[in-house]
Amino acid sequence: MRETWVAGAATNRFGKMAESGREAGARVALAALDRAGLRPQDIGVTFVANAFGIAERQAHVGPLLNSALGIPEVPSCTIESACSSSSAALHEAFVHVAAGFEEAALVVGFEKLSHLDTLAATSYFAVGADYPFEAHNGATFPGLYATIASAHARRYGTRTEELGAVAVKNHANAARNPHAHFQKEISYETYLNSPMIASPLRLYDCCPFSDGAAALVVTARETFPSPASEPLVIRASARAGSLGDIHDRSSMTSLPAARLAAEKAYRAAGVRPGQIDFAEVHDCFTIAELVALEDLGFFPAGEAGRATREGLTARDGQLPVNPSGGLKAKGHPVSATGASQVAEIFEQFNHHAGARQVPKTELALAHNVGATGSSCSVHIFGHR
Amino acid sequence: MAGTGPEELPPAAHTIREFEHGYEEESRLRGFRSACGFVTATWGLVCPACGARDLAEHALSGRGRIVAGTVQTVPSDEFLNDAPYAYVVVELDEGGRMTGWMPGVRRDADLHLGDRVRWRPSYKPGVIFERDDGAAPEGRP
Repeated sequence: MRETWVAGAATNRFGKMAESGREAGARVALAALDRAGLRPQDIGVTFVANAFGIAERQAHVGPLLNSALGIPEVPSCTIESACSSSSAALHEAFVHVAAGFEEAALVVGFEKLSHLDTLAATSYFAVGADYPFEAHNGATFPGLYATIASAHARRYGTRTEELGAVAVKNHANAARNPHAHFQKEISYETYLNSPMIASPLRLYDCCPFSDGAAALVVTARETFPSPASEPLVIRASARAGSLGDIHDRSSMTSLPAARLAAEKAYRAAGVRPGQIDFAEVHDCFTIAELVALEDLGFFPAGEAGRATREGLTARDGQLPVNPSGGLKAKGHPVSATGASQVAEIFEQFNHHAGARQVPKTELALAHNVGATGSSCSVHIFGHR
Repeated sequence: MAGTGPEELPPAAHTIREFEHGYEEESRLRGFRSACGFVTATWGLVCPACGARDLAEHALSGRGRIVAGTVQTVPSDEFLNDAPYAYVVVELDEGGRMTGWMPGVRRDADLHLGDRVRWRPSYKPGVIFERDDGAAPEGRP
């Protein structure tokens, strides 16, 4: 296996897009290629992520994207892994390039859901769960994560203040991110006064429905030696799964897929959790960030809430978490999310992150969850 | 070399439809138990704990305790007219867990982890639980 890079990355402003997902995807793809110093013609394969493409009445969008990029002859396929679709696409691109099947691969993730109302969007998201055994029994996505929060509180005494601390921190980071859906800070009182969606999760515990697009160019160092930006070395690209239904898992306070993917990634990279300088983790709900920090080995089980309240995961803390604002405040355009986490790490490594720049950027980790943890990707990035 | 025809596929011990048919039409909840003791009320063909394929039918009374739950105010389209309601994970007396919803539980203060509940057959979608105070369910001996 050869050393493989993310040589270019780009994302648009998350929120509400006037253009289609396909149009936004093509534009971020060109931006990522420009940053890598490559042309579309240098790409050997395209992996597209667009889990809810049917909401735009469009499937098989890869060839349309490649056609728009002037490379209709290049093979493509759509990778679907719910909210971890574009990190799964990155994993496929890594496998192709690291193994030498291709010299360069393009990863493009995009989603457009803002034309749906809340009821329709909630219903679309519910089919990402186990429909007959969860959603048909009344669960929505916030409801499923609320059961995790409920079990976590019962086992560890997790408090509202700890969930709120995640929301306040991530909004503060997003306020410094020009790509973010929500570019405003919130106070704990604002958090506390927001309406309950699925107890104990309030509105400000939940990520928004966002439109957005992100793209990555994956290539091998020796092939393209002059990228316009410092590339990320992919030190590890790991994925794992868990039982599809939360209630059937032995523990409801941890995502086995995240623990397994993290173990694989740390082993592949030859690093320990304590060596990671900053992380982008999957905080679709505030409880998800706490569970992620525990599953990734950054804090002992039941301790991530306290650590967050003490500021350890703030931008200037010992382990900055979600300097982008995370899914919670940067936004969560399902299939763009995983690639956008890597785009944030690309910005941070190149010291282009402006007011949200973190101090240390030697090693970074991206954690991207599909559905309620039945899929998880963990990537670790370093320098050449 | 002979091809693999449909008749050579491993038989499906049960179908997803049978779960729904059980609680909608037959007044029973379906469960399965593997040789290692893993109990599930979710469809599958191979035990995720031990890899056994001989999952035996395991009778479920529908009684148990709430181990996790939430009161949802924003429903999906199937439950539009019932919100708010509780969505719960129930640890069953016969082992294993299953999910369901509790119409009428509209406030978080009315949802108590550890409470005993029982399954209540209904014309409404999904598996419905109600509080189990030990008395016989209405309309049933």
